[in-house]
Amino acid sequence: MNAIEVKNLKKSFGSFQAVKGVDIIAQQGEILSLLGPNGAGKSTTISMLSGLIAPSDGDAFIMGYSVTDQPKSAKEKLGVVPQDIALYPDLSARENLLFWGKMYDLRGSDLKQRVDEVLEMIGLTERQKDRVGKFSGGMKRRVNIAAALMHKPDVVIMDEPTVGIDPQSRRHILDNVKELNRQGMTVLYTTHYMEEAAELSDHIAIMDQGKIIAFGTHDELIKMVGEQTRIDLTFNAEVEAIIPAWKEIEGVSGIDASDGKVTALVDDSNQALPRLLEVAAQGGVRILSVDIKEPNLESVFLHLTGRALRD
Amino acid sequence: MKIMEIAIKDLTRSFRSLFAVGMTIVAPLLLIGLIFLAFGGAFNGASDLPAISVGIYNADILTDTSILVEPLGANIRSMFVDESVQSWITATDFSSEMSLRSALDRREIGVAILIPVDFSERFLAGNRDTQVLILSDHTLTIAPQVAQNMVTAMLDGVSGGGIAIETILERQKIQGVQPGPEQITSLIDRYSAWYRDFQRDLFHNPESAALMMVAPTGETSSENPIQQMLGLMMAGQMVFFAFFTGAYSMMSILEENEEGTLARMFTLPMSRTTILTGKFLAVFLMLVVQGIVLLIAAHFIFNIQWGDPKMIVLALLGQVVAAAGLGVLLISFVKTSRQAGPVMGGVLTALGMLGGLFTANMNMPEAFNRLAAFTPQGWVVRGWKIVLSGQPASDLLLPLLVMLVIGVVMFVIGAFRFQRRFA
Ligand SMILES: Nc1ncnc2c1ncn2[C@@H]1O[C@H](COP(=O)(O)OP(=O)(O)OP(=O)(O)O)[C@@H](O)[C@H]1O
Ligand SMILES: [Mg+2]
Repeated sequence: MNAIEVKNLKKSFGSFQAVKGVDIIAQQGEILSLLGPNGAGKSTTISMLSGLIAPSDGDAFIMGYSVTDQPKSAKEKLGVVPQDIALYPDLSARENLLFWGKMYDLRGSDLKQRVDEVLEMIGLTERQKDRVGKFSGGMKRRVNIAAALMHKPDVVIMDEPTVGIDPQSRRHILDNVKELNRQGMTVLYTTHYMEEAAELSDHIAIMDQGKIIAFGTHDELIKMVGEQTRIDLTFNAEVEAIIPAWKEIEGVSGIDASDGKVTALVDDSNQALPRLLEVAAQGGVRILSVDIKEPNLESVFLHLTGRALRD
Repeated sequence: MKIMEIAIKDLTRSFRSLFAVGMTIVAPLLLIGLIFLAFGGAFNGASDLPAISVGIYNADILTDTSILVEPLGANIRSMFVDESVQSWITATDFSSEMSLRSALDRREIGVAILIPVDFSERFLAGNRDTQVLILSDHTLTIAPQVAQNMVTAMLDGVSGGGIAIETILERQKIQGVQPGPEQITSLIDRYSAWYRDFQRDLFHNPESAALMMVAPTGETSSENPIQQMLGLMMAGQMVFFAFFTGAYSMMSILEENEEGTLARMFTLPMSRTTILTGKFLAVFLMLVVQGIVLLIAAHFIFNIQWGDPKMIVLALLGQVVAAAGLGVLLISFVKTSRQAGPVMGGVLTALGMLGGLFTANMNMPEAFNRLAAFTPQGWVVRGWKIVLSGQPASDLLLPLLVMLVIGVVMFVIGAFRFQRRFA
């Protein structure tokens, strides 16, 4: 049985289709990343998986239970870490966890023990009596995760759990995710940081504009870019106006620019680079740096959409 | 079980919030406390009350810029000449200090009250050196003390009024209402009118006035008119803040919606109806706790005799149901917690005024009382009046029934709207 199975899931808000028929399968015990830029429809997909909003069409199954027909059973198997911190700022970390534990039917010494465990895991045992409102962003994020783990769910869905926090808390959270996975939890991890997806995942689903545009292991996805090379360029001025001319160049399959930074995906850097620079000179901008790199998930996204996967 | 835990969590949060505790419990007690202190002077004093012959020379006049309508001196004078005290005080006006003093020397009067020229202005400016001079025949002991008490009570009332008005303005500010200068003037006018009436009631009837003078502070006596008046005012305040509490507790659902905790609850294996029920239960519990705390506190602090315990329970039940109903209904029309403050302040203050919560201790015109019957608050305070005055339980039946019916109907509509909105 698959831990998560999403079948042709769709969601429309009025006439706007936010999710346009998504299929995802996560096997038990794996980490699956859902990678996509802002507005791709990641949170909307997760909201449907967690029973927060009803799908317009299609269905999803958590440990075999349909989220539309057997929502209670599906939810029992599931822990959801919402994208925005959802805690009571005027209650302490411990009180928050106690409350969410009770909501999962934990009682008495089981509850206390579990609270101690998760506090230990997120490294906040010492601060457990402090009100969450006084915590730093990173600490709040960690409690936000802990609250979803109280009932030891089979499946954890995390929606961008590392957005906007310091590197130390991020490291802590990524390590927690790996640890949870080692304990046997299936994790669906949503992010728009490709490094996180690359580090954590057994499988990666790339989502854009409401659709899954690629699915596979990290290496499988990189292979999609083929023999192509990625060139990063920096210029002394805005280059938006030059993009159309660059796209005309033979052997350039994707290009993205913002401010003075440009990322180009090319078949052969020896051939393409001089042409790129020539066109830039005609456009009146001066080159500051050139960097030729191995393709990464960023390149895959660029290859597939012609756009960058950006923060 | 989960319903109860959600409700307890809400209560915990409310009691952690200084604002919530302030508005549900401290504010009503504080307001009554101020009035209690302001008139506390009237409790102390003489042990019996012979007829008193008083002479008054009132030189107090107002400057052009004064905020007062009448000089304080005139207020003091009118206390002694009012028809309500005529049976035990004979007051005579004198046209100069000299004639007043010589009348005292000739023993034509027992007590001479001398109000200096600029008394109002200096008193309002906080200058306590300027005093109303009370001279007396040295063979008399009680009469000058009574006169002294009356003057002190009056002046304390004026000072207390200043504080009371400041408190009202503070409260309006919290509710987002910026009172204009004309509003402040009308507040002062209203307060002084009310205070004048209060003074009349206080001395209306020599028997109860005497009783009041005799009774040391704190002694239990439900017939004590001050206690009765305080009881009515306390009931009015309690009802006002109960309705505020009903709406304020319900507001937590908007906050939870904004904080994301409501959404998080919706991802848990329980029905949305359970969650909403927990939130509603919190409103009821909060109201019960508030009502009990206020009833007990008012009894012990202000010596208010609420009456028959069974009647109290019934009136409290009506209050809780009506306030919860209106709170749920009101908030169901509000989109965000930011909107909720002004809406609550506006609607509840307006309904409170119409319901006669701020005039619970006064005899209002019949038309006003009829108007009050259109507000839930009006019915709740009517219930408390019945309880306070010791009327039979059967009198409470109609108001209680009305409270319960309005409360339940409002609650059902509000709950239905929330169910539609969130579940
Ligand atoms: N309740 C809603 N009503 C209308 N449109 C919505 C609603 N929720 C989401 N959308 C739209 O659906 C699209 C997808 O949003 P979603 O939040 O799922 O993206 P996301 O991939 O999670 O992005 P991010 O990385 O910014 O969190 C966006 O264009 C968003 O504006
Ligand atoms: Mg999102």
